[in-house]
Amino acid sequence: MDNQTVTQNDPKEFDPRTEPILRIEHLSKWYGDLQVLKHIDLEVMQGEVVVIIGASGSGKSTLLRCINFLEKAKAGKIHIEGKRIRNQEKQLNKVRQELGMVFQQFNLFPHMTVAGNVMEGLVHVKGMPKARARERAEELLAKVGLEEKADVYPAMLSGGQKQRVAIARALAMEPKIMLFDEPTSALDPELVGEVLNVMTSLAKDGMTMVVVTHEMWFAKEVADRVVFMDDGVILEEGPPEKMFEAPEQERTKEFLRQILRS
Amino acid sequence: MKLLPWDLSVIPQKFFLFADAAGYTLQITFFGIILGLVVGLLVALGRIGRNPVLSGLCRGYIFLIRGTPLLVQLFIVYYGLTTVVTIDPIPSAVIALGVHNGAYIAEIFRGAIQSIHYGQMEAARSLGMSGSKAMVRIILPQAFKRAVPSLGNQLIIALKDSSLASTIAVPELMLKGRQMGSSTFMYMEMFLIVGIWYLIMTSLLSFVMHRIERKLKVSDRG
Ligand SMILES: Nc1ncnc2c1ncn2[C@@H]1O[C@H](COP(=O)(O)OP(=O)(O)O)[C@@H](O)[C@H]1O
Ligand SMILES: [Mg+2]
Repeated sequence: MDNQTVTQNDPKEFDPRTEPILRIEHLSKWYGDLQVLKHIDLEVMQGEVVVIIGASGSGKSTLLRCINFLEKAKAGKIHIEGKRIRNQEKQLNKVRQELGMVFQQFNLFPHMTVAGNVMEGLVHVKGMPKARARERAEELLAKVGLEEKADVYPAMLSGGQKQRVAIARALAMEPKIMLFDEPTSALDPELVGEVLNVMTSLAKDGMTMVVVTHEMWFAKEVADRVVFMDDGVILEEGPPEKMFEAPEQERTKEFLRQILRS
Repeated sequence: MKLLPWDLSVIPQKFFLFADAAGYTLQITFFGIILGLVVGLLVALGRIGRNPVLSGLCRGYIFLIRGTPLLVQLFIVYYGLTTVVTIDPIPSAVIALGVHNGAYIAEIFRGAIQSIHYGQMEAARSLGMSGSKAMVRIILPQAFKRAVPSLGNQLIIALKDSSLASTIAVPELMLKGRQMGSSTFMYMEMFLIVGIWYLIMTSLLSFVMHRIERKLKVSDRG
């Protein structure tokens, strides 16, 4: 028997050049009688930055939350690196380590210092010794420009600094994909830039990212692809040039007119 | 010539004769509250948890305990159980205080746990933490902190409630007061002494609780 063939035919062997790192098939989600996601199909390639736009209530957050199973979809499949993710706690705890999540409200742990926040997953999920986790936390904090804040509590930080800590905390787990749910929506306008800069440099480093945002600058400059969601469906998607300059759907045009005016 | 019908000079004279009794009061309160904290935490988690049977049992426990007097619970433990097992006065008092305060503390913990923003649990889960680990590492430390003022309150209530143990012959402050009163016929003086002892202990406890509260505020101011 030829080993080479076995490897090639092994369905579990993931090839990032030909296969999406994240594949969502026919995802549907209900809240009671309200169908919030309707047969969503989405593929994201390794290193790709996908920006999701759409009106409030269109299901963007729900989609992100279903991807890492903070919400359980009723129907549909999610594959990461070609592997189907099943709704089993054990597997999910592993999968969630591979999916970094950044929330609109930061959700830092207020009873831990900044370094403690970044170390938490390393020490208590990955089981890394504290001293090494501390080093790693300092590296990550340097990366987001906050090394001097390592020993303060989150309450002392500005919103922009909090969000950068949250990004460092997620990065500590060395995720394969980063999910951002309106990371700058809770920030004062003058603090938005520092967070988007960190995200931009992450994208440049080749991180795979799915970003829900209303920052059209980020969508235009950094996204490889823009996805427009409307009422639980992906109405239209394409490269940012096309989406911003020549959207096909009337709803997309209308949304962009509104968002660009404000 | 006396202004008052009582001899208040007896108070400083006899005051320290009550020290041992105060020790018993502190002892049953302390162990009762420790037991109450353990029971309270378990019942709070059980009540919040997803197991409907366990949750129902915890609800029932809280309902029964909060709906009946501590004195009834104390007598059930001390007298009621004698057909099955005989428990000495002090352990009976500790058990009754623990079971009684457990119900109130469970509700304090439940409120505190549920007051923690759900985003905290989500952030922990999104790091790959299991639900139980997230509870222990992320939710409970914040909930404990939020519960401290109410727990302090409950501790003071428990200290005063421990006086009921006098009815089952625990040699604590209240019983000492009754004994001293009946042997000297100076009831007013003796019960004033008892009251002063309680007042000193409750004041000290609330002082300590305030210090703890202040200490815990550290992460709030950064
Ligand atoms: N926990 C929930 N329970 C019930 N309905 C919800 C819940 N979360 C979101 N929804 C509803 O689902 C729809 C989509 O919400 P969401 O995904 O948050 O939209 P978006 O992020 O695009 O603003 C909205 O109609 C919202 O009201
Ligand atoms: Mg949203």
